[in-house]
Amino acid sequence: MFLLLLKNFVRSRIVVTGLSIIMLAGMISIFIGRQHIEKIKSSIAKTEHYQRDHIQRNVQFFNKEMGLLLYYLRFGLVNEPPPLNALSIGQRDVNSSIQHVTIRNIENQLYDTDLFNPYSLLAGNLDFSFVLIYLFPLLIIAFTYNLLSEEKEGGTWRLVSAQHKRPAVIIFKKLAVRAAVIYTALTVLWALAAVLLSLPADNSFWAAVSLSFLYLLCWFAISFWVASLQKSSGANAVILLSAWLLMTVICPGMANNYITSQYPVPEALATVVKQREGYHEKWDMDKKITMDKFYEHYPQFNQYTLPNTEFSWLWYYAMQQMGDDEAQQEAGEMKAKLWQREIASRTISYFIPSMHTQYQLNTLAQSGLGNHLKFLDSTRQFHENKRLHFYPKIFSGADVTKEDWNYCKVETFTEKSPVTWMAMLVPLIIISSLLGAISWINFRKTPY
Amino acid sequence: MRKSVLILFARQVMGMAFKNKAVMALLGLTVILLIYAAYSGFTIYQQQSRSRQLYQQQVRADWEDMPDKHPHRMAHYGYIAFRTKHPLSFFDFGMESYTGNAVFLEAHRQNSVNFSEAGFSTGMLRFGEISIAMILQVLLPLVIFFIGFSTVAADRENGTLKILLSQGTSWQEIIVGKALGLLGIALCILLPVILLLIIGCFVLPEKKYIVDNVCRIGWLALSYICYAGIISLMAVLISSIAKTAKSALVSLIGIWLLFTVIMPRTAQAMGNYLHATPSRIEFETAIEKDLIKKGDSHDPNDPYYKALKDSILRLYKVDSVQQLPFNYSGFQMKEGEKISAQIYNRHLFALLRKYQQQNDVSRYSAFINPFAALRDLSMAMSGTDFRSYVQFQQQAERYRYQLAQHMNELQIKHISNKKPGEHDKPHSISSAFWKAFPDFEYKRTGQGTVLLQEFPALASLLCWLTLLTAITTILSKKLKAL
Repeated sequence: MFLLLLKNFVRSRIVVTGLSIIMLAGMISIFIGRQHIEKIKSSIAKTEHYQRDHIQRNVQFFNKEMGLLLYYLRFGLVNEPPPLNALSIGQRDVNSSIQHVTIRNIENQLYDTDLFNPYSLLAGNLDFSFVLIYLFPLLIIAFTYNLLSEEKEGGTWRLVSAQHKRPAVIIFKKLAVRAAVIYTALTVLWALAAVLLSLPADNSFWAAVSLSFLYLLCWFAISFWVASLQKSSGANAVILLSAWLLMTVICPGMANNYITSQYPVPEALATVVKQREGYHEKWDMDKKITMDKFYEHYPQFNQYTLPNTEFSWLWYYAMQQMGDDEAQQEAGEMKAKLWQREIASRTISYFIPSMHTQYQLNTLAQSGLGNHLKFLDSTRQFHENKRLHFYPKIFSGADVTKEDWNYCKVETFTEKSPVTWMAMLVPLIIISSLLGAISWINFRKTPY
Repeated sequence: MRKSVLILFARQVMGMAFKNKAVMALLGLTVILLIYAAYSGFTIYQQQSRSRQLYQQQVRADWEDMPDKHPHRMAHYGYIAFRTKHPLSFFDFGMESYTGNAVFLEAHRQNSVNFSEAGFSTGMLRFGEISIAMILQVLLPLVIFFIGFSTVAADRENGTLKILLSQGTSWQEIIVGKALGLLGIALCILLPVILLLIIGCFVLPEKKYIVDNVCRIGWLALSYICYAGIISLMAVLISSIAKTAKSALVSLIGIWLLFTVIMPRTAQAMGNYLHATPSRIEFETAIEKDLIKKGDSHDPNDPYYKALKDSILRLYKVDSVQQLPFNYSGFQMKEGEKISAQIYNRHLFALLRKYQQQNDVSRYSAFINPFAALRDLSMAMSGTDFRSYVQFQQQAERYRYQLAQHMNELQIKHISNKKPGEHDKPHSISSAFWKAFPDFEYKRTGQGTVLLQEFPALASLLCWLTLLTAITTILSKKLKAL
């Protein structure tokens, strides 16, 4: 019977068109993802090349004073995108995957954005997560909105329902046929992606695959539930499309407005104002105030005392340090606020499968806010290491030419978070089973 | 066409809709969403405007409070410009969430406009936000389609259509009348929103822009009504062509998905593919390369700056810069700033042109997608489009350049040519000079200019209306009652 149902289904025109559209869109999305990854990869390569040239040139011009040289030198840190990033571009198009910092105050450099076209951000990326979250459900709706109603409207239902003592089983089998076809399409796309993007078959890969299968399972459950309401084809189409609209437009939209208004980030503006004030006001202050605070922060540099000149690099970098130190509270508040946003997003998304899938995909693809915040932390640490390395050399007036500049290579940050299987899969399983159970009860309750 | 018949049909469509519980639920939901959108739009507008104004004032106060010092210190102290939100941005968020909000303006360096809402967001932002404009552009058409799919097709299915036509009603009367009915339903939602906008505009404290704002609201009202007309007519036309109500519904849903979900992304993806833009590192290296080619002010033996110095020395018939009657290092920085700003702007304009080319694919897709036309027009009128953003960026850069050059000129005029010794106090000038330098003020584009820029979008809406009217006339002669 399954084969018969399959043959019957595959012969309809909508199946061929639907499948070709989704395969085409899927392939385009993989291609776009590959372009995105290649652009980042080439930027990384260029950064390495640039840093070598940049250091060489500046060392040649400013070889007398370590302090002056370090005013100019910029060091790169890369947030290495995992191969999965090609499938879920997430925030990687707005947040830069590369940071360039001098050892001057970090708060003034940390938040520089990448170059981007806001129109493109508004339109959204046509990546695989879009195909999965928006388009696959539409295909499911197109294939299943008249599961039961077409039989009823075509007058074949009495004939069909006589074949089983529980007619719901027939509906379920019809649904299973459509699910088999759609899952095959998804599997083919995953295989293509794995080959074209050379995705390693690691934990995150299988997590992403299971996530996509369970997300679609939710949609089959929704569809089964709508069939169990036993309405006309037209009503089914309207209900299913409304569900789609709720999941992909209205609920996420409302959640976004809520988060933006509930967690505003004026701390960002406070940070930029404060760090600038913290550094610049020191020029007009007694040097002792700055130096006392600096020694308090770095007791290990107590041994370096200010020379008897109007200007010295020790004083200069101590002033720069004050920009960071005095904006520390605001910067910390800003970071806390952003983590609040991340947690609020995650919590809301547990209840909305589309948002949940996108959120978890972004997490696996390391393209969410969480990854970026960790990258910012890592940049702070990187910057601090550079300071600790160069401060003593500047303060002691070390010879520029004796320094081993090969040490200053572009460094890489890689996020290593384990896959949280439970939190990722359980919400989708619960929602699917709940809907399945309700539908089953509906079918048992009402006569056909 | 008889006016009384048109009104009759329109009334019938509206009456049927308002009696239908499902339709009322849908309309009710739309209204609730509109209220939520208006509320959160207004909250976000107020929060963000307030904090930006607050910090803009603080930046100004800090600037004026700076004590006497060397003007070049002030050039490095710099300024921070905050992007002011257009009051209509509470109606249409447009690109607001994706554009940066604050830029640090200092000598020698063009910084990026940072702190966009998108940078502060999780990937969820990409699902989009709920603004009044978004509801009117995306959800209202769907509601109209849900109501309109059966207008003619149901009459055909139950045989009413035959009777109507045999009683002397023309196809044109049926189509236009029913479309007017749908438009009536749309207007029940649209008109209160327009009223709300006008009231909001008079309540706002800034009276300076009141005429401009009212004009903008006028254009918004016109284009939204025009769009609603297109959608209504489209629904009725599809309903009259379709064999069954069900197939009309499926086609209309397909059209809606194509217009609002598939095409906008695809068009922009195509634009991005056709016109590749450089990455940040490529952009910055290209600028640095051009700068070095022209003259590297860091290189003490750079031929360009050496030649400049020699020519000045010759002109003043002196043999060292210390003998010049003005501050030479200020002069050299002024020259350097001019060159670097020119080079930067050349690269920036090339980049913006690339973006514009990418966006043009979307912009011109308006001729096959009325949604794209309305989206562009609405964003532009609400001051939340790409051009408004670029406008801010460029005004901020112009201010940065003026600030840096003004400080250089102060240095040339008022700072001694003799370098202070190691133990001397650094040169400084009076803090009155800082107070005399004007504050940064963002100048908005007038609605007339915006209208000219968005002419393609407006034209495409009119084209759509004309096209659909023409199709109505042609179909009226060909359609069958069965």
